[in-house]
Amino acid sequence: MNGRLSVTAVSLLLAVAAPAQTENLAVPPYQGVYEPQGVDERGLWMEADETERSARDSGLLIRDQTLNDYVRSVLCRTVGDDRCRNVRIYILRIPSFNATMFPNGMMTVWSGLLLRCRTEAELASVLGHEFAHFERRHTVNRFRRTRTATDILAWSALIGAVTAQPSNTDLLVIGGLFRFNRDQEREADVLGLAYLTRSTYRPQGASEIWVRMMGEVDASALGRAQRSRRYDRAPFFATHPTELERATYLRSLAGPDIAGRADNAEAYAAAMRPWTRIFLEDQVRLNDFGGTEFVLAQSAGNRWTADLLFARGELYRMRGNPRDLVNAADFYRQSITQDDGRPEAFRGLGLALMRARSTEEGKAALRRYLELKPDAPDAPMIRALVDQAF
Amino acid sequence: MFEPNADWTAQARENIGAALTQAQATLGNRVIVQPDVVGEAAQIQADYMALFSAIAGSVINYQFFVGNRLPTKVRDNRAGAFEWTMGPGVSAIPGASDADYALFIYTEDHYGSTGRKVLQILAAVSVGVAVQTGLHKGYAGLVDLRTGNLLWLNADMAMGGEVRTPEGAQRRVAQLLEDFPGRRPVQAAGAR
Repeated sequence: MNGRLSVTAVSLLLAVAAPAQTENLAVPPYQGVYEPQGVDERGLWMEADETERSARDSGLLIRDQTLNDYVRSVLCRTVGDDRCRNVRIYILRIPSFNATMFPNGMMTVWSGLLLRCRTEAELASVLGHEFAHFERRHTVNRFRRTRTATDILAWSALIGAVTAQPSNTDLLVIGGLFRFNRDQEREADVLGLAYLTRSTYRPQGASEIWVRMMGEVDASALGRAQRSRRYDRAPFFATHPTELERATYLRSLAGPDIAGRADNAEAYAAAMRPWTRIFLEDQVRLNDFGGTEFVLAQSAGNRWTADLLFARGELYRMRGNPRDLVNAADFYRQSITQDDGRPEAFRGLGLALMRARSTEEGKAALRRYLELKPDAPDAPMIRALVDQAF
Repeated sequence: MFEPNADWTAQARENIGAALTQAQATLGNRVIVQPDVVGEAAQIQADYMALFSAIAGSVINYQFFVGNRLPTKVRDNRAGAFEWTMGPGVSAIPGASDADYALFIYTEDHYGSTGRKVLQILAAVSVGVAVQTGLHKGYAGLVDLRTGNLLWLNADMAMGGEVRTPEGAQRRVAQLLEDFPGRRPVQAAGAR
């Protein structure tokens, strides 16, 4: 028992001394189709297969062929057709910035990620990172590492209870486990950037995403009157390196000579256009005023589209302070100026105005809503509001 | 920590399937296995499986534990009422047109490693702390496919029967289907 514990302690110290920062951007030769080996890996694959079955039949799954083909084409262009062939992509309607990779080759891409990316190259960098977890078989390694750690913790808890000796083994083991996780993320970041470098995409996007994420986290915390995270060092229980660390090493790894490559921002915007309304609607409902304001402003850049203005109107109307209602009405009006065919903009405008005590103007907007969408699910309620004498 | 084992799962699935086929003679009904479906039908099925597990969880929490009744159900349940429904939409479940009732079965087992069992015993004798070395839970429910009403539910969070063996699986299935409505009074093989 002692021998095992001291070995762990030594390996932890080594991990501190030599952080996984091997700046080698070579993509290893591809191993081809892989079958799980041993009890652990086969068990994990079985679980992943089960998860994949439920994802396939899930109500959250976006089944639109065009969008699926597009995201898949970005992955294939990033990692190459041979690697791409082993991955099945599932686009899930979840408004958070995330994508996940399972050991059996199932990848999930969340709608919140698609909303936040601005270019194809940025999406490519995230997909490449996830694929790197797959190629390096990170799940099974993390599983084994976690088992060892929980074994040590269980036994050391017993020994500690019996001997009544205080011990800091637990902290070392737990800290080591989270550090191991962060090292895996770093490794996936580096390999992901290697794919990008080998592809035709501009690799600088990989770092720019994390800079924006810091902005969003700060804005979200500010909106909730909370203190934001610190980015200069990873907290004890962090599973990922800090956004600042990732942005920094990804920027230093991205070759300056290929900064002029295409990032296909226009193609990306075109592919997302049919989905923007839905993704924005989900984002607004997160009840994250600061974060959503940031995301909207980032998506807008210097051009606020009708969809973005509508979403901003909804965001302000839902917060609903008297001053918010004035702003909301303004955003709805601007949205209508650009596109007067969206009934919900008149609905939002009408409701905001009525709550801001501009009753007649509000009723007029609501009437317009009923004209445009007479069979809306909330039509009877809105009609009652319009007919009511104030 | 839970460690998935593909072989055990495959074995248990096969054993329980065989045990169910064997047990159906005692159920007083003809049992058909739900067809394998794809596409939209699979979505409907997945939705109803999820709904059933949510309802079963509620029944176990709020009906089976008398002291834990939902405030809105306290009065009804005092009279021994059993009123839970999945709604008439269940008739859309694939295969429902060929059946009168749907039987949902769920079972989950975790087996402790030898090391874990040694730890359990040592912890019990040295400091008197209970260490969990496994999980054996399951439930079975019967739903009327015309109304969606839940007619019967049997749940046990500590079941017997080693499902990795055919005999154990028979015992597990017999336990799951204990008190099945309309069942003939015949003991299934291996049941105790």
